[in-house]
Amino acid sequence: MIVPRTAAEEALGLSLPHRRMEDWKWTDLRRMVQAPYVRMPVTAKQADVDRLVRSSPFAAVKAQRIVFVNGELDASRSSLASSPSQALAVADDDVLLQINRKLEARGATLRLEGNASLPVEIVHVVTDDVPRGVATHHRIEVADGASATLIETYVGEGDYLSSAVVEVALGEGARLDRIKAERESVRATHLAFVKVSLAKGAILRDFTLSSGAALNRQDGSYIFEGKRADARISGAYLLGGKQHADTKLVVDHTVPSCTSRELFKVAMDGQSRGIFQGKAIVRPGAQKTDGKQSSHALLLSEEAEFDAKPELEIYADDVVCGHGATSGDLNHDHLFYLRSRGIPEKEAKSLLIAAFVGEAFDGIEHEGVREALTAYAEGWLARR
Amino acid sequence: MTMLEINNLHVKLADEDREILKGLTLTVKPGEVHAIMGPNGSGKSTLSYVLSGREGYEVTEGSVTYKGQDLLALEPDQRAAAGIFLAFQYPIEIPGVATMQFLKVALNAQRKARGEKEMTAPEFMRHVKERAAKLNVSQEMLKRPVNVGFSGGEKKRAEILQMAVLEPSLCVLDETDSGLDIDALRVVAEGVNALRSPERSMVVITHYQRLLDYIVPDYVHVLSDGRIVKSGGKDLALELEEKGYAEYTGKAA
Ligand SMILES: Nc1ncnc2c1ncn2[C@@H]1O[C@H](COP(=O)(O)OP(=O)(O)O)[C@@H](O)[C@H]1O
Ligand SMILES: [Mg+2]
Repeated sequence: MIVPRTAAEEALGLSLPHRRMEDWKWTDLRRMVQAPYVRMPVTAKQADVDRLVRSSPFAAVKAQRIVFVNGELDASRSSLASSPSQALAVADDDVLLQINRKLEARGATLRLEGNASLPVEIVHVVTDDVPRGVATHHRIEVADGASATLIETYVGEGDYLSSAVVEVALGEGARLDRIKAERESVRATHLAFVKVSLAKGAILRDFTLSSGAALNRQDGSYIFEGKRADARISGAYLLGGKQHADTKLVVDHTVPSCTSRELFKVAMDGQSRGIFQGKAIVRPGAQKTDGKQSSHALLLSEEAEFDAKPELEIYADDVVCGHGATSGDLNHDHLFYLRSRGIPEKEAKSLLIAAFVGEAFDGIEHEGVREALTAYAEGWLARR
Repeated sequence: MTMLEINNLHVKLADEDREILKGLTLTVKPGEVHAIMGPNGSGKSTLSYVLSGREGYEVTEGSVTYKGQDLLALEPDQRAAAGIFLAFQYPIEIPGVATMQFLKVALNAQRKARGEKEMTAPEFMRHVKERAAKLNVSQEMLKRPVNVGFSGGEKKRAEILQMAVLEPSLCVLDETDSGLDIDALRVVAEGVNALRSPERSMVVITHYQRLLDYIVPDYVHVLSDGRIVKSGGKDLALELEEKGYAEYTGKAA
């Protein structure tokens, strides 16, 4: 059967995935992305850019910064030099990568060495203008034995499609704390793809906040290529209205003795939809793999909906793997206990929601970043 | 003015037709300590929950007046701000909320509701530290999430610490003695006694007479099948200890 292309597909020059495809059953991109988004250079007002840069949850964190405005490097606002990134090394078959390429993504290549004391923040700003596609892709390399903190922030205003691709390679014994905050415009679509490889003994602490866009889909691929590497991948959704966020992670244990942990905490209000698809693959010979994942959703309204799809593909016998998913509303006993001590209902709920979501921040080592996220969550709670 | 006046209180479970309290009447004046004793299932905890405003119970008849106002019309947090405190029989664990933070938010919420100035961080620290030391509550415990991983005894001490920090007018203690060894019982009782004052009243719910050796009540009431069936002085507790509740329940205790 030949389905005529939608306006969005015509504009992008490709077919969008739809709900009859297994990985997209909750996020029917063909139906959900309607406008014909194309790459379109615009001139940003400096005052808008300033305001948006300041709206990063991490604006107060001391960091070296690289700023992308409407998909283009803004060297004048960047305190860290980077070279333009080369064509994507990853295979082209993934639709999120195809979209990124069709929108002619620009990006930064960074090689992080030694023990950087300051975090590096890549700030992505989109200003309000005609509906359009904006794309970036970055390549980050953390050298053998190096350690670094990388923050990726996405903020914007107006109607646009943001395609964000990041490739990360951790060298032997390297450590990366990666924090991503998706705070796109409420009218935006955020389509992200991150691919991370870990060499021997590498440590990854990865956290993603999903909170801004109307539609957020992010695919993550984490590959263990050397023994005794350790990855903790966590995330938090703070959603309301009709927001939709879908994360699909694949953690690929190709070698023995690696550890992976995934923890996603999802707070959903209004008629929002949250999805978490986590897959762990343990390849033949990847003995002593220790892999666990869990997702927990807190439904703050009767119309919010959460779906989890955990998957394990295990081809080795000496492994410890597991998964768990829960979803429910606030615990009434907890709420009563707080109220019986004089805490008004709204404040009591906020305390409990903050505590719930905060568990996903716990693994973040940088105190300033953790505090910035806590403050962001408090702001979100106060606005709801 | 009377502290608490419960008049012919009838309470049923909200989602069942079962009546738990069947015409309970009790008057507590400022400074008085009343013990309520009764067999398991007689409705003691139900009474404490109805006073603090827990959902799941429905008052079908009668009234509860606290310091002259209709208590049942108030939300749980309003009752707390007005000075009611329930030490839970089973204190609830709240993961992710540090005890210290919880105490501060609670105290300042109450002060705000009463139109008082909020306490500053140093004032609050001093306020808690003094009281925690007396109850053997360590700084380490205060950093932990509310009641999470606390032993039975630690939970009860933490309840009394909350009470000492919040300084309520009417303290309702629901089986604060259960699960405590004799040393822990003494610490808890001393904490409670330190709070006795002419302006503060207490309703001490217990199944056993033992606690009343330490917290000596002015009045003792026997609750059976949802009603107060006998009231007396502290000697009544000793009598109950000897004879059990059989006389009041019609069954062997
Ligand atoms: N929330 C509830 N749901 C069901 N039954 C309840 C509930 N609360 C109390 N009851 C019942 O009411 C009766 C009195 O309980 P309770 O007040 O806990 O007694 P006590 O504290 O004196 O042991 C018991 O039969 C108990 O099972
Ligand atoms: Mg009880």
